[in-house]
Amino acid sequence: MTSDTISYDSSEARPLPKWLTDQRDGLNAYQPEIRVMKEDRSLQISVISTGGAILLAVVVLTLFFIRKNKKRKDI
Amino acid sequence: MKSGFFRIIIIAALLSLACTTKVSEWVLINSPAERYLLVYYHSGAISEAEKRQNNQLESTFKSANLAFRTVEKENIQKPYYALYYRNRLFSEYSSYQDVQNITTSPLREKIAGELMAGQLCVMLYLKSGNTAKDEKGLQALQKSVASSPFREIISVVELERNSEPEKHLVSMLLNVEDDLKSIQEPMLFGVFGRFRALEPLLGKGISEENIKLMIDFFTADCSCVIKDDLPGISILYRSTWENPRPARVNKILDENPALLHH
Repeated sequence: MTSDTISYDSSEARPLPKWLTDQRDGLNAYQPEIRVMKEDRSLQISVISTGGAILLAVVVLTLFFIRKNKKRKDI
Repeated sequence: MKSGFFRIIIIAALLSLACTTKVSEWVLINSPAERYLLVYYHSGAISEAEKRQNNQLESTFKSANLAFRTVEKENIQKPYYALYYRNRLFSEYSSYQDVQNITTSPLREKIAGELMAGQLCVMLYLKSGNTAKDEKGLQALQKSVASSPFREIISVVELERNSEPEKHLVSMLLNVEDDLKSIQEPMLFGVFGRFRALEPLLGKGISEENIKLMIDFFTADCSCVIKDDLPGISILYRSTWENPRPARVNKILDENPALLHH
């Protein structure tokens, strides 16, 4: 109600109603959300973590079998 | 599985209907008029006659967008009535006779009748008293309406600023914005929904271009942006707003899809 009324020098300088300027500028219509693309590192993280997990499993299993074989030879 | 599919179809259909309802129709059906508050200020005890008068007022106001309160106030010489809207003082009245017909008047009845009959809007032209200025604005208004494809569903009414039977309506219109009382220019108010008056076009602002934008505003799809922040103010009027006739704008838009816009 009072939002459109701001100080002005004469009635000619008085601003147009907000509903009118919004209609003119297309602001009364639904404004879709502006989506900003962010840098996507999920693939790199996934490859690195999967690779790391595989390497860790290989190292653990290698050590496990080496120890097992060593024990068998000792017996 | 089948029932779930049908539910999705029905919900989607309802959603699509809601989004294509035009502003004027949506506001009339869904947006209740905002309430005014009339306060009776008095000092000391209220006489039986005053109580009777106030009870009579309260029963008259039941179907209007108006609440009535009695408040005791110290240091006042005479009891008086004060009308508020959104906590802003609109007018003060010294007697019961002044507020008796505050919720209705012949022009308000006519305008409400037009809105309930399915008209798109009522363009209320408030004259300034300066004949040259009033004629210029009126010509622009008549020309714009005559050239609009919606001309048959736009009603135009004229109102003198010093009209005695419409003094309450004039007062409310001049309170739509807080500086209007001091501006001696003709004003054009778009009235729609349940007697909602938009912030007016005034003086040189009453141009064909701006009147076309006003018509565009009423015929646009009602977006959430408008629903959440409805412009203008409600005018005080006694009505339940039940069973309005279907909006006539839809027939025109169905016949001329090129007129559809947002």
